[in-house]
Amino acid sequence: MVELVLFVIFAICALFGAVTMVWARNPVYSALGLMLTMFSLAVFYVSNAGHFVAVVQVIVYAGAVMTLFLFVIMLIGVDKAEDRSETLPLQRPAALVLLALFAAGVLVAGARAWTTGYTAPGEAVNGTIEAIGSRLFDTWLLPFEVTALLLIIAAAGTIALAFFRGDGEEG
Amino acid sequence: MSNIDFLALGPEIAVTAAAVLLLMIEVARKPSARVWGWIAGIGIAAALGLSIAGWVLGRGTDANLYFSDMLALDGFSAFGGIVVFTLTGIGLIAGWGLVTSLRRRGAEFVALVLIAAAGMHLMAASANLIMLFIALEVASISFYVLAGITRNRAADEAALKYFLLGAFASAVFLYGIALVFAATGTLSMAGQESFLGETILLRPGVLLAGIALLIVGLGFKVSAAPFHVWAPDVYQGAPSGVTGFLAAGAKVGGFAALARVLTVPLDAYLDDWAPAVAVVAVASVVVGTLLAIAQDDIKRMLAYSSVAHAGFILLALTAGDAGVEAVWFYVSTYALQVVGAFAVVAAVSGPDTGASPLDSYAGLGKRSPMMAAGLGLMMIAMGGIPMTTGFVGKLGVFRAAIDAGYLWAVVTALVATVAGLFFYLRVIVRMYMDAPGGDAPALEVGRGPAWAVGITSAATIVLGIAPWPLLNMLRDALPF
Repeated sequence: MVELVLFVIFAICALFGAVTMVWARNPVYSALGLMLTMFSLAVFYVSNAGHFVAVVQVIVYAGAVMTLFLFVIMLIGVDKAEDRSETLPLQRPAALVLLALFAAGVLVAGARAWTTGYTAPGEAVNGTIEAIGSRLFDTWLLPFEVTALLLIIAAAGTIALAFFRGDGEEG
Repeated sequence: MSNIDFLALGPEIAVTAAAVLLLMIEVARKPSARVWGWIAGIGIAAALGLSIAGWVLGRGTDANLYFSDMLALDGFSAFGGIVVFTLTGIGLIAGWGLVTSLRRRGAEFVALVLIAAAGMHLMAASANLIMLFIALEVASISFYVLAGITRNRAADEAALKYFLLGAFASAVFLYGIALVFAATGTLSMAGQESFLGETILLRPGVLLAGIALLIVGLGFKVSAAPFHVWAPDVYQGAPSGVTGFLAAGAKVGGFAALARVLTVPLDAYLDDWAPAVAVVAVASVVVGTLLAIAQDDIKRMLAYSSVAHAGFILLALTAGDAGVEAVWFYVSTYALQVVGAFAVVAAVSGPDTGASPLDSYAGLGKRSPMMAAGLGLMMIAMGGIPMTTGFVGKLGVFRAAIDAGYLWAVVTALVATVAGLFFYLRVIVRMYMDAPGGDAPALEVGRGPAWAVGITSAATIVLGIAPWPLLNMLRDALPF
């Protein structure tokens, strides 16, 4: 019962944060909305016994990533409100209609055919650092290693795109 | 239990090691572009050799799974490796003018091409949805950077649009993975196949939603309509020297992933997803063909034609397992045609510029007979004229779709094929019958594009006249 109440409260928070993130004109409000969503997700991890993941979520996403976002926003300038004029005038109504259709589809599917088919085993989730670490370096070794490629891309891509001076001289 | 075998990962290790070595030597010694070329060439050759070895050892239907069912070494992944690394090599040769024009940033460019190749091969070899997602991101994020590498306005626009829409498509794909996981309780494709084969889901709403989102996510990567809107701007804005690699690579990786996901774990739900795939295929063929007719820039035209080709390839997938051979034949030969066509574009418009208006091809037959002949051959092949691979490929996908009972889709696609000849032949008319504008001099063609066009033209004709060796080979290139 407590879990259900917590879920409902933080699900609303997560959705509110996500909508704020997209809807707010001021980028700082967007960042704060995103932070609310990330905190709410951390609560879901806790209620699913994923304590370590929850802590990582708060430290890395709500902490480090959000600080980075706020730095970038401050560097660009806080007072720049977003220009909302659309080049295609029908785009936004069309998107809203399609969104409503998608929501209707989900609700119909939810009422008639929304079961998963797979029943989870009743054992408790072991969310300790030790359990996660041993899974990460055993079962999930290859995906973990391949994310190293993403880091190389990030580094090489940043150098390739940012060390460009525009006048033909390289940095 | 986890079955760790780094030899199974050989091709990826070869190209990644080459990329890292290249970046480190670049920092320490600042070598000439020739050294980058040697390192990249050796890495790609090693990866190609290991893929061929994997083909010899792993062909047939019995797959070996490594790294706790993350990686499949079978004929499918080995053939995917052969295609990916071949086209990476040809793409780098064709775009070498771009690498030298980037000066010191060329090292990062070559490294990103190598890493993208590793990602594309992993897409063909993944046997786990999370593994597939990471492989897809490795390939895609490299592509975003490569599209914007020249940092002019068009390239920036291409990279930003590709990145924003691609990130959105990746999120959709990830949601699809989550829903399929919720329905089956496992992320391993082999595990999902056995679960769905043994269990009757009375109300499979979550699974079907997951399948739909997976098709949307991968449909974006292969630029199938209605998820194609990024393609024209990216093709036109990206520097010509890399557009062929981006276009061909996205198709090969995307279709390899789509074919494996749809025919291995979701095979039991063929009757549910095949109609959706058929509708997307027909939409792509129609939209791509109609919009290609209206273009006056050859890169935009090739972008819309690639939407139509994505539709043709999707037609074969409606047959499930039986269509995988046709998919492979079409994708591999079409990838070569695209790389060859964009090599000509790079030679005509310069490897580091984006736009390439059709007017600049007027009289190309006089300015550079070889490039004109190469581009003409690629246009004929894409149009599906006999004696080229394009005809054999189309025959294969149409037969697969008819066998699967999608006659209406094949009839629509046939009409679109005939309509498509209009814009392919228009390029040839432009090249041979129009006079060059002003007093355009003979075109200086570098050795890179010349080699790339030569190799792809030879492959297109030889495999078009005698496709049987490749077709026989593809019988062993099925996913596990």
